[in-house]
Amino acid sequence: MIKFWNKRIKYGTLTENENLDAELAAIKKEIKSSVKKKFAGSLAIRMVDSGSCNACEAECNALANPYYDLERLGIHFVASPRHADVMLLSGIMTFNMTPHVKDAYEQIPEPKWVISIGDCPVMTAPFEKTYAINAPAENHLPITHHIAGCPPSPLEIMQGLLEFLRKI
Amino acid sequence: MRLIARYAKELEDTFEIITVYEDETQREVVSKEHPHIKTLAKKHPAAIWFERKMHDDFGIIIEDAFDKRPLVHQERFPRDVHPLRKDFDKDTLQEAEYLPYKYEAINGDGVFQVAVGPIHAGIIEPGHFQFSQAGEEMLHLEVRHFYKNRGIEKMLEGKTLTEAKPIIERISGNESIAYQICWRDIYLQAAGQELPMALRKRHAFLLELERIIHHLTDLGFIPNDAGFGAALAYGSKLAEDARRKMQEFTGHRFGFGSIDFTNHFIDTASAKEWLRELENSIAFFEDWIMDIPSLWDRFDTTGALALQKAVKYDTVGVVARASGLSVDRRINDFYLQHGFVMASEVSGDVGARFKVRLAEVKNSLGMMEHFLEEDDTTLEIGNITDGSYTSFTESSIGELFMAIDIKDGLIERFFVRDPSFINWQALHIMMHSDIIADFPLINKSCDLSYAGNDL
Repeated sequence: MIKFWNKRIKYGTLTENENLDAELAAIKKEIKSSVKKKFAGSLAIRMVDSGSCNACEAECNALANPYYDLERLGIHFVASPRHADVMLLSGIMTFNMTPHVKDAYEQIPEPKWVISIGDCPVMTAPFEKTYAINAPAENHLPITHHIAGCPPSPLEIMQGLLEFLRKI
Repeated sequence: MRLIARYAKELEDTFEIITVYEDETQREVVSKEHPHIKTLAKKHPAAIWFERKMHDDFGIIIEDAFDKRPLVHQERFPRDVHPLRKDFDKDTLQEAEYLPYKYEAINGDGVFQVAVGPIHAGIIEPGHFQFSQAGEEMLHLEVRHFYKNRGIEKMLEGKTLTEAKPIIERISGNESIAYQICWRDIYLQAAGQELPMALRKRHAFLLELERIIHHLTDLGFIPNDAGFGAALAYGSKLAEDARRKMQEFTGHRFGFGSIDFTNHFIDTASAKEWLRELENSIAFFEDWIMDIPSLWDRFDTTGALALQKAVKYDTVGVVARASGLSVDRRINDFYLQHGFVMASEVSGDVGARFKVRLAEVKNSLGMMEHFLEEDDTTLEIGNITDGSYTSFTESSIGELFMAIDIKDGLIERFFVRDPSFINWQALHIMMHSDIIADFPLINKSCDLSYAGNDL
């Protein structure tokens, strides 16, 4: 373990050492201040997958890696819809998931918002409508904001969250 | 004889039931008026999902099955609707009256049920787990999936292979390259063409890159599920580096659309440098993680799958190799010449699966160095001929099997069996000596796909 701490001290903070462009730095600064203003410093997101290929989930998980480290901006993913301000909806709404997604939405306390992520919820991904698909998601839930991409990169997701914060 | 897949297709007046074993393929024809077959589940327990799915999709009746519950069709799915039949052409369904699903449950004094899912606490895919508990101890687990069923098989019918490609590569995001390589092999078979070596190496390089991204993520997440968060920070950093390389090589962070018949430029010098850097990082990671006794106390003996059970349930991939089975589609001349060594462990527990992943990352890095070369070979694909084609690829989870029937140049029947479809059925066997708090750890150590399973 001592070897790890030695390396850790030598490395310093990866998030800052990485040559991230000024855009990312600006986004982070702006997100931080609007989260502070609009959500008293903490925006809680409940991620719900309504039938994705798992790429959007992988990118949302990547937001927690040392390069992006979303949580230090006050945005965090929570385990229960009852703890959430926002539902982040990924995937093409399937027939089998529809009732469960609606259930989860009802469990979020007011005021609440839905952000859809990826091309699937708006039916712009290559998937076509079949019997097993109930998309687009807007037929079932009020969507405040959409983050496009297949899948959107972590940077695009951060930009999308910022646009959402500007919108409300 | 290992069971690989069992599926049906609709012919003019009959259904054909195809059972794919490792060494042979058996075909059985039943009439449409009286579609009855016998179950294989008594010999191959993993056959039961294939058979239940067949019943949902086509209405084929499994006479002597011990489990006749619906699989893909859930509580609100209309009754007596079999969407893979050719005469079913609706693209919307009306919700039917709620019919409760009868879970497998153990009853007795003090035994209680814990229902988990379909929506889970983390950022993961939906699926349901039903536990029968005696205090903390898991007596039984039933895995119930198909919440994400998108009707992919029906969606692809009537398309050309080229039109189907963007959909096939998005069936399971973590295994996109593997799905594309299965598609590529079928395309080449249908065109009767051989793939030039340079392209084959490029594709193999990308497949190994996809594998290390998936494994590195798991090497972080598995310790994290045992409460060791530092490993996740380390693993996810390496995984992000690798994903950025995927973006650099293919123009997409997941490699969507990357398997084609054109050789794109790869800067081999900088790629080699990165591979060596990653090798060093992995060596450091291994040295560090192997020396943390409290972590290995959680890993060792947890979630053990004995060799006999791994064989009985026809498991594939990392799960099978961690239990001592030699199942890997990369055991062939091409891979062996490029330095492939099959990773293998015998204890079948979480620790064994962790070590298999670690060994595979190291082996993949070595192979990737051999696959790298500068070459601008391209291949023109000629006309394709109708027929039934199958292909196999070793994805990051395990053996992927795809079968496509082409009629008049269009897909008549599309079938794919994700490695997860087999391995999910063996998951409950791993729980018997553990407590429910170990479940997330055991589940993550297998890291199976929900999307590829549900289709």
